Amino acid sequence: MVNNLNADALKTQIQQALQQIGHVLPGQAPIMDFVHHNTLHGFQHLTFDEALASYSQLTSISGYLPEGRYREFYHAGRINDADLAAAFSDYGYVQTQANLGIVNGKPLDALTIYRIALIYDLTAISTSHLNWQIQEGHALDALQADLPSAIRQQLLAQPLAAKAIAPRLWQSLLSKLEMECAALHPEDLLDLSIEQAEDWFAQAHECHDGLPVHQQMLKQAELGLENLLSSIGDSISLRGLILALTGIDILDFVRPQLIRICASAMDEGVAAWQLPERGHLGLYGAWRLTAGYDVNPFLYELPDWLGIMAELPEDPLDAIILQLKHLEIAPDKWPAYLQRLALELPGWSGMVNWREQNHNYQSSNDAKPALADYLAIRLTLDRLWLNQICRETWLIEGKMSRLQAYFSKNLSEFMVRECLYQGNLPEYLAHQADALTTLSGSERHDAEQWQVLADLVWTWQHSGLANLDSQKPSANNAGWRLFRLCQHLAIHQHDLDNLSQENLLAWLALLDSFDLNQRNKIWLNAYERHYQTAFFNAVHANHNRGRWLKRNLRPDAQVIFCMDDREEGFRRHLEEFNPAIETLGAAGFFGVAMDYLGLDDSKPAALCPVVVTPEHSVQEVARPGQESAQKQHLRVQHWLNQGRQWLTQGLRRNLVTSFPLINITAPFYLSHLLAKSLIPKHQQDITTVLKYTLAAKVKTQLLYNAAETDIATHTKPGFTDAEQAERVAGFLRNCGLTYGFAELTVLMGHGSASQNNPHLAAYDCGACSGRHGGPNARVFAAMVNRPKIRQLLAERDIIIPADTWFLGAEHNTCNENITWYDLEDMPANHQAAFKKLQTQLRYAQQMSAHERCRRLASAPQKPTPKQALAHIKERAADFSQVRPELGHATNAAAVVGRRAVTQGAFFDRRVFLISYDPTQDPEGLLLEGILLAVGPVGAGINLEYYFSTANNDRLGCGSKITHNVAGFLGVMEGGCSDLRTGLPQQMVEIHEAMRLQLLIEAKTTVLEQIYARQASLRELIGGGWLHLSVKDPDSGEIFVFKPDKGFMLWQAAETAMPICSSSLDCYQGQHQPVAPKLIQQAQLSGA
Amino acid sequence: MDALVVLIPLLPLLAAIVIGIGHIFGWLKGEISEAATADIAKGTLLISSLLALALLTGDFLDKNTGYYSIGQWLSSDTLNIRINFISTGFNVVLASLFAVLLCVVSHFSVAYLHREAGYHRFFFILCLFASAMLQLVLSANAVGTFMGWELAGFCSYLLIGYAYNRPNASKNATRVFVTNRIGDAGFILGMGLTYAWTGNVNWAHLNAMASQLPSGQITSIGLCFCIAIFAKSAQIPFTPWLARAIEGPTPSSAIFYGAVMVHAGVYLLILLQPIFEQALLPLILIGVFGLLTAVYSFIVGLTQTDVKNSLIFAVTGQLGLMFLECSLGWWQLASWHLCAHASVRCLQILNAPALMHQVYNSPITPVSASVANNRWLYVAALQRFWLDPLADWALVRPIRRLAHDLAYFDDHVIDRLMGVPKPAINAISSLAQFEQLHNDQTASSLSPQFVRSSGIVGRITQQSASLIHWFENRMVLRGIGKDAIDYGRQLGHVANKIERLLLGPRYLVLFVFITLLVAF
Repeated sequence: MVNNLNADALKTQIQQALQQIGHVLPGQAPIMDFVHHNTLHGFQHLTFDEALASYSQLTSISGYLPEGRYREFYHAGRINDADLAAAFSDYGYVQTQANLGIVNGKPLDALTIYRIALIYDLTAISTSHLNWQIQEGHALDALQADLPSAIRQQLLAQPLAAKAIAPRLWQSLLSKLEMECAALHPEDLLDLSIEQAEDWFAQAHECHDGLPVHQQMLKQAELGLENLLSSIGDSISLRGLILALTGIDILDFVRPQLIRICASAMDEGVAAWQLPERGHLGLYGAWRLTAGYDVNPFLYELPDWLGIMAELPEDPLDAIILQLKHLEIAPDKWPAYLQRLALELPGWSGMVNWREQNHNYQSSNDAKPALADYLAIRLTLDRLWLNQICRETWLIEGKMSRLQAYFSKNLSEFMVRECLYQGNLPEYLAHQADALTTLSGSERHDAEQWQVLADLVWTWQHSGLANLDSQKPSANNAGWRLFRLCQHLAIHQHDLDNLSQENLLAWLALLDSFDLNQRNKIWLNAYERHYQTAFFNAVHANHNRGRWLKRNLRPDAQVIFCMDDREEGFRRHLEEFNPAIETLGAAGFFGVAMDYLGLDDSKPAALCPVVVTPEHSVQEVARPGQESAQKQHLRVQHWLNQGRQWLTQGLRRNLVTSFPLINITAPFYLSHLLAKSLIPKHQQDITTVLKYTLAAKVKTQLLYNAAETDIATHTKPGFTDAEQAERVAGFLRNCGLTYGFAELTVLMGHGSASQNNPHLAAYDCGACSGRHGGPNARVFAAMVNRPKIRQLLAERDIIIPADTWFLGAEHNTCNENITWYDLEDMPANHQAAFKKLQTQLRYAQQMSAHERCRRLASAPQKPTPKQALAHIKERAADFSQVRPELGHATNAAAVVGRRAVTQGAFFDRRVFLISYDPTQDPEGLLLEGILLAVGPVGAGINLEYYFSTANNDRLGCGSKITHNVAGFLGVMEGGCSDLRTGLPQQMVEIHEAMRLQLLIEAKTTVLEQIYARQASLRELIGGGWLHLSVKDPDSGEIFVFKPDKGFMLWQAAETAMPICSSSLDCYQGQHQPVAPKLIQQAQLSGA
Repeated sequence: MDALVVLIPLLPLLAAIVIGIGHIFGWLKGEISEAATADIAKGTLLISSLLALALLTGDFLDKNTGYYSIGQWLSSDTLNIRINFISTGFNVVLASLFAVLLCVVSHFSVAYLHREAGYHRFFFILCLFASAMLQLVLSANAVGTFMGWELAGFCSYLLIGYAYNRPNASKNATRVFVTNRIGDAGFILGMGLTYAWTGNVNWAHLNAMASQLPSGQITSIGLCFCIAIFAKSAQIPFTPWLARAIEGPTPSSAIFYGAVMVHAGVYLLILLQPIFEQALLPLILIGVFGLLTAVYSFIVGLTQTDVKNSLIFAVTGQLGLMFLECSLGWWQLASWHLCAHASVRCLQILNAPALMHQVYNSPITPVSASVANNRWLYVAALQRFWLDPLADWALVRPIRRLAHDLAYFDDHVIDRLMGVPKPAINAISSLAQFEQLHNDQTASSLSPQFVRSSGIVGRITQQSASLIHWFENRMVLRGIGKDAIDYGRQLGHVANKIERLLLGPRYLVLFVFITLLVAF
């Protein structure tokens, strides 16, 4: 009974641990359902800085750009001194002169040192590096190469030969710090001079109370062993221990096994034959039954594999407990150990975890994998292989106590092995150690050789060449850093006389405290501030310039786009072409969350932000009178599907049928290949035309109406009238479109179509769960065009004139095409306006393409708008193109407010634009709703781009070119690697890794109330995951929100902003990001 | 017209040389030079394919003589190797197809590899590979074909290891390289036998001699080339290398393992049709192994969960069928099958990243329910019938152990016997040593010397006394307890070790090999 209770308690403990682990694993969905989210979502409860620090502590993955990149930005003027000064003050770095001494007649300030440490690399270097710098780099003969010219002049102005400045400075620094610079080469240690030996020997004796040297070595090794063993669970697993001691990675053997079984269990349609019985047994259960037939353990001669497999319990949790007990991991370390295991293959663990957490996920695969299954398999495989390596190397079993017992008896071996596989032995020792480990294997043989070698290693470590403890000031750290700092401070040798040793040590202490993490924070803050300043300047200068503050004049047309940053350019060009057009922006599902089933779709898809679960479903059906067309369409579609089945699936699945198929279709394939490569656009056009002529385009409509009496089910088919009116009214209110309706109001959803792109969904509409927003636009337009709904809207004080017609459309952000829906329902009297609008949109398409071309290396250099559009279309059709479009790259800000805030300025497609009219929402209730929907979407996109850019190797998914789609779940590199999550390098290479600037047009008091009410917004804004600021609707003042201080008034620059004549004028000839600018406004009274 | 044939492999070689040298000297570097590199590669491959097509047209119009030689390359006694090419028939068809596919893939790679760190390296290898493949299919003699064969294999190695910073990629590249060397041994042996028995290395000569050679010789030559063919076209037991080869960029996977290089084996088989028609045993082997490979690949392919592996097993399956066709005497069909297959798979692998979007609404047909729950077969398929671990078990590990033993022998026996110069350290290189020395000095000054003497007799007495003292001290006094037993034990250890080593299967196999070698 007690035992049972105990076992249950253990299981609960493990289950809780698994819950926790889920938070640190990547949360990426299967790749077809890719939705942007914060890469560090599990750390979002912390502030941004803390989250990055604790994530990097856990995984040693940095979430900042490499420091070198920031330095490049600084030298390119993308970060300036004012930005740095402001960043310092933001993080509480203040001017202080305490104990820093007088330099060049003035007391030295800490900020000066920080600034130099930031801009110029003042990190310690290794002894060998220092020797190299001195001997090969002639660092002592000349001034440092990176000195700014002013400082250089100042140094050279002294009456001292230029060549003598550096060496004298170096000498007096060393004497001041009482240290020596011994130019030793590692190989010199092979033959120590008697003096040296005596000297060191005396030192060693002194330090360790006369203990014999060999004993000292053993003592140090014992300490090292203790440290290593105690780090198991916290920072390494047993696999890590074996790797550190033998250089053999058991994951190399375990990984393929684990990946094969997981991929087979979760596969969504690559394989014809997946893990048997996974449906009712689960991943672990099904694996357990099949593993008995695996011959691998026999072939690899794994010790006792029959026994280990035979004792596997049925329940994965029991298996986890069993294996952990067998490996003798201390029970208090279990959660940490399991987490460490999961993090060793984060992609696959994350996918298993995602499937476990999302029960409702619709998949063709009925497996219900769980993290416990995965870890149970991993632990079992680990145990098999650990035993194998330990048996082969030391004749012991692979468990903690045995390893500990063995190594505490063979400390010399431990010393040699640990140093060898850490890779920090000099060549002469590494060679010997390598020979000894291969030939003798363990200290059971040739014990004397191991001991001699361990002594050699110990001597090397204490020779001053090994950088064992960098805390101790020595020439290569303290000396070198101060040497560089002094030059950057324009200090001469004789200036040093005025400084005490304490002064110098105080400088060093400052440098030590200002570590990489601190520097990164400052850099990022300054980098963001630089953009913020330019952005605010433009918004501020644009106050009262933008159109459509009030609709005193009826616009020619209104076009409501998705808030997507890619639409900013399109809207700007459209408005420039016809100033009488008003554009608006809103989350691209247009307030209609639905499960949508298209005419040719096999399963419905949720078209709404990922946090919303749709309660209604909408279906696309053929219009009445289209029966024959539909019949033909279905028939052709059936044949097309069949053909696809044969060609895409059959050619790889069936051996025999693909034989005639290959022989017959080869000429077609060859010509297809040639056409696809050489004339992609034409090939695509021909295919489309062929498809449409064959498959008769069916005129369709949406089924979206529901009767009032419909009972509540999980997803109701359609919306009742009241629900429709409610959604329409809600949406129109949100974007402030409650009056001044134009004759034509277009809802423009968007999506993207590109070839050969596993990450296709990442280019689609983020507000529609990574799908196309066209159907939402279409259903919204259909709803609001119904007289009944208009009547219900009028009851809610939204009066839509009878001559206003709504149209749904979809904008393809990749090839700029626009698809229109339900044009046949449009009354004939709107035709003229529609034709006019189409012409205007055509212009915007060309100009949008033109603006995009400037960032694409393979685009024509100075294209005409027409050429630009042709290039963009060709690019979208080209299956060799890994950069079909720019996606959200460079997104940097979001504006919630009237179009007037941003209209009239050039934002380089970097800004999400969300329409909201503060004058209609004094309480901020609408705003609260908008922020709750838009905040996570915008921050999710921005943060995913941020992390994938900052560290593409570890937080993104690397280069696309070796990607291999696994199980339709994600991408691997090559044949058998971890699933790579995040965005590929090709998507983010021009992105600017900065957090989102969220600017809201509202009163600060309104925002303060919302902030106080909404915990989720507090988490994002207070935690610094995005930067909030507010523009006062009346005064135009901008207030920046600081989590600790509240809203602070932002000071505008005094210089007037230059005004460009047009968008074209702003960006022409530029290939890098362009700072926000003002554009000449057309005269249009009343808008 | 025939002279064109020389330029077809030569131009890509020149392109490779230009790109290679340009890259080494830093003229072609980084993003700025991408266009230059791409133009050189694409341009020469385009010209090559146009030349190949021209040659093909010439062949159709019967304008070709079928053979072109530019001269002597090597001549020594009776060995006489010319640089000569075949300019007619299947070789030219294949050269045209391969050249066109290479051209398409190079065009594809221009955009695909944009901004890659290895951009120039990739195009260098692609051109080198193009040259190698075209040389392989056009050369009129075995040596020329072999050079192409080797160079293509080497390029494959370089591109599998394209992302050489990933340990998995470099490991797989090496494994593939080594596996392919087994096939090369077969090729070289075949080539040697051909020369020995026919006195010439020209393919045409060999084929012409097919009916005149005794059947034993024909069978031997056939078997040797069989090994080469099996390895290159990934037939059982070599099949696993192909699945390891997909670590490189997608376009290189398409051209090497989908379209061009894997078909080299089938090409050689078809080229040697007259030989194999005379050699019954190799032909039967080809049929049996082809069928085995096809069935194997089909079953394994069913369980592959990633797109590239799934396609790779589809490729080996069809290759197996081609072998079967040849063995059944359907040589024409196999030739067509080869060309058709190359075209189809090239597009399929280039398009592999989009498979999931293409199969929308057309899900794969699952295996029939009666098979689906067969756990044994499933595991076997998922583990690819353990061919890789089997090779490890039967070859890799025994050889590694052998190497280890030899290294041990070298280090502990040979080096000690030969007296390898020890590092010149009587000096001190560790503090422990210094301490020891220090202590020894103090110790030795304390212990009194055993005897003092003068004169010759005295010396002799002293020496013998010391010796006896030593013996008494080490073996008798301390002895029975320590040294004698230690020495005895060590001796026992050594004897045990030698016995265990000699009984290990690797030594038995080694002895068998040595015996065979001696017998030959």
